[in-house]
Amino acid sequence: MIFSKREPLLIFAGFVALILASLPVVGAPESWLVYLFLFFIYLAMANMWNLLAGYAGLISLCQPAFLGLAGYAMTVGTWVGIPWWIGLIGGGIVAAVFALAISTAVFRLSGVYFAIGTLVVPEALRMVFYLWRPVGGQMHGAGAGYMVKGIGDLSGDVIYWLALVVALSSVVLMRLILRSELGLGLAAIRDNERSAASSGINIFKLKLYTFIIAAAVTGLAGGVFYLNQGYVEPTATFNVKWTMTLLLATVMGGLRTEEGPILGTIVVVVLYFLLARYGGYSFLIQGLILIGIMLLSPQGIIGLLRRLHLPAAGRVRGF
Amino acid sequence: MGSVDVFTPVLMGIMLGGLYALIALGLSLVFGVMRLINLAHGDLVILSSYISYAIFTYLAVDPILGLVITIPFMLLLGFLIQKYILGRGFAISSETPLIIAFGISLVLQNLNQILWTPLSRGLNTSYSHMSFFIGERQFPVSYLLAFLAGIVVMVGLRAFLTRTYMGRAITAASQDKRAAQLMGINTNRIYGYAFAIAMGAAAVAGVFLGMTFPFTPTSGISFLTIAFGTVVIGGLGSMLGTFLAGIILGLSQTLGGYLFGSASQMLIVYVLVLAILAIRPHGLLGR
Repeated sequence: MIFSKREPLLIFAGFVALILASLPVVGAPESWLVYLFLFFIYLAMANMWNLLAGYAGLISLCQPAFLGLAGYAMTVGTWVGIPWWIGLIGGGIVAAVFALAISTAVFRLSGVYFAIGTLVVPEALRMVFYLWRPVGGQMHGAGAGYMVKGIGDLSGDVIYWLALVVALSSVVLMRLILRSELGLGLAAIRDNERSAASSGINIFKLKLYTFIIAAAVTGLAGGVFYLNQGYVEPTATFNVKWTMTLLLATVMGGLRTEEGPILGTIVVVVLYFLLARYGGYSFLIQGLILIGIMLLSPQGIIGLLRRLHLPAAGRVRGF
Repeated sequence: MGSVDVFTPVLMGIMLGGLYALIALGLSLVFGVMRLINLAHGDLVILSSYISYAIFTYLAVDPILGLVITIPFMLLLGFLIQKYILGRGFAISSETPLIIAFGISLVLQNLNQILWTPLSRGLNTSYSHMSFFIGERQFPVSYLLAFLAGIVVMVGLRAFLTRTYMGRAITAASQDKRAAQLMGINTNRIYGYAFAIAMGAAAVAGVFLGMTFPFTPTSGISFLTIAFGTVVIGGLGSMLGTFLAGIILGLSQTLGGYLFGSASQMLIVYVLVLAILAIRPHGLLGR
C-alpha cells in the first residue's frame, strides 16, 4: 500500500539491491566492495541522523556513542564466548538502552542545549573506555582497545551483505516511519510544536521512540563496521569525526528529505577516497563544503535540484 | 604538588576555575545574546593559543604583550565570521548556525593541524614554569595569572555590558530582540559586535590556556565541553554566574583527582555536567 503508486521505483530499487548483493559473487574488484561497504554503513547512520535532526528536530551529536557502545558490546562479548552475531544484535540493544538511559538527562534540554548536551556524551565515554577494561587480555594499558575474537572463519562477503542489509533496512525503515503515526506526529510537531501538543500528540514519547530507534540502527551499523575492522579502540570510536561524516552526508544531500542521505552519502564516500591521501586537508575541505552548502543551499543537493525544476527532482520527490 | 592535604587541590581548583571561566565567558556572551551555542568556541580559543605561540616563537614577543596583536585579530575575525557566515545562517533557520559552527570547528581543527602539526605545544615563557609558595605548598604561577586574567575579563565584560551604550544595546538585544529593534538598535550589527567581543575574550583565554596547559589542534573540543559545562551551571549569559561555575568545575576536577586519582578527573567533570543538566536543565544559578 505504501508503494502502490510507486511500483516502477520499487522495481528499480529492488534491481539495484540485487546487483549490489551479487557483486561479491560475480567477482567485482575488491576496492569497489570497500567503497560500497563504507557507503552502506554511512548510509544507515546518515538516515538515522536525518530522522533525528531533520524530522524529529533533535540535533544529536552523540551518534558515536551509539555506534561505539554497540561495537564495544559486540567485541567484548566475543571475549567472553558470546558469538559475534548475538553480540551484533546485542550491540544494537545496548545502544537503544543507552539512548533510553541518557534520555532522562538530554531530553530535558531543547534546541542548542540538546545538541551540546549530547556532544558531551561521547567525550565522557571515550574517557570511560580509556580507563576501564571490562575484560582482561594480553593487551594492557589504557585505551589499548580490543580485537574481535572468533571471526576467523567469517568471510568478507558475509560482512558486506550484513552492511547491505542494514543499509536497506534503514531506507525501508525511514519510509515506514515517515508514513506511520510516528512520522505524522513528528511532522505535526515540526510544523508547530504547540498545536501538535494541544491536538493530543505526546511530544516527549514520539521523540523518545525516534531517539531509541535511531540509536539501535546506528548501533547495528556500528557493530558491522567493527566486525569488518576487526578491532575497537576508544579514540577513533568516540570521535567527533563520525558525527561530522553523518552530518555532512545528510546536509549535503538534503536534510529532511528521504533521498538526501542517499545522494549525500555517495558524495561523502567519493570525497573520502578522493581526499584520503591529503590527510588533514580532507576534513578541512569537508568542513568548508558543509558551511558552503548550509549557506548556499540549505536543502542540499535535493533542494538545488528542486529549485532548478529538473524533471529528475520531480520524480524523486518525497511524498 | 608534594603535599597531600586538601588545601592544595582546593586552591588549585579555584585558580583553575578562573581559567575555565575565562574560556567560558565568550561562549556565555554569544549564548546569552544570540541563543547560539558556538560549537567552534573551543577551537577559536585554541586558534588564539596558536597565534600567541607563533608571535612568541617567531617574533619573540611575550604572549601577554602579544595580546595587542591577538585581541584585534580575533575581534576582526569574530566580526567577519558573524557578519558573513553565521549571520546569514540565522536568516535561514534556527539550526543552520549550529551546523555552520560545527563546520567552522572542523575547519579550524584541521587548519591548526596543517599549520602547526599535531604535536603538543605550549607557551613556555620564563615565568610560566615558576612557582609561588604558601607555607610548604608549591603552586604554579601560570594558574594564578590565568585566575587573575579571568577576574579582569569578567569585571571588564560586566562593566562594558552595564555601563557603555554598546554594552547596553547588546543587553537589550539579548533580552528582547524586537523591542530593541523598535528602540532603533541595529540588532544585526549588535550581534556582530557581541561575537567580536566574545572572540576578544577568547583571545585572552587562548593565551592563558597556552601558558597553563599543553595544547594540540584537537584540544578545542575538551575545552568547549568544559566551557559549556561552565555556562550551563552558571546560567544563561550571566558573567558572575559563569565565573562561579568555572570555580565549581575547577574544584570538582582537582578534588576529583585528589580523591579518585588524576586519571579520572576529566571524567568526573563530564559526568558532573551531565548530572547537572539532568537535574537543572537551565543551570544551577539559572532561571
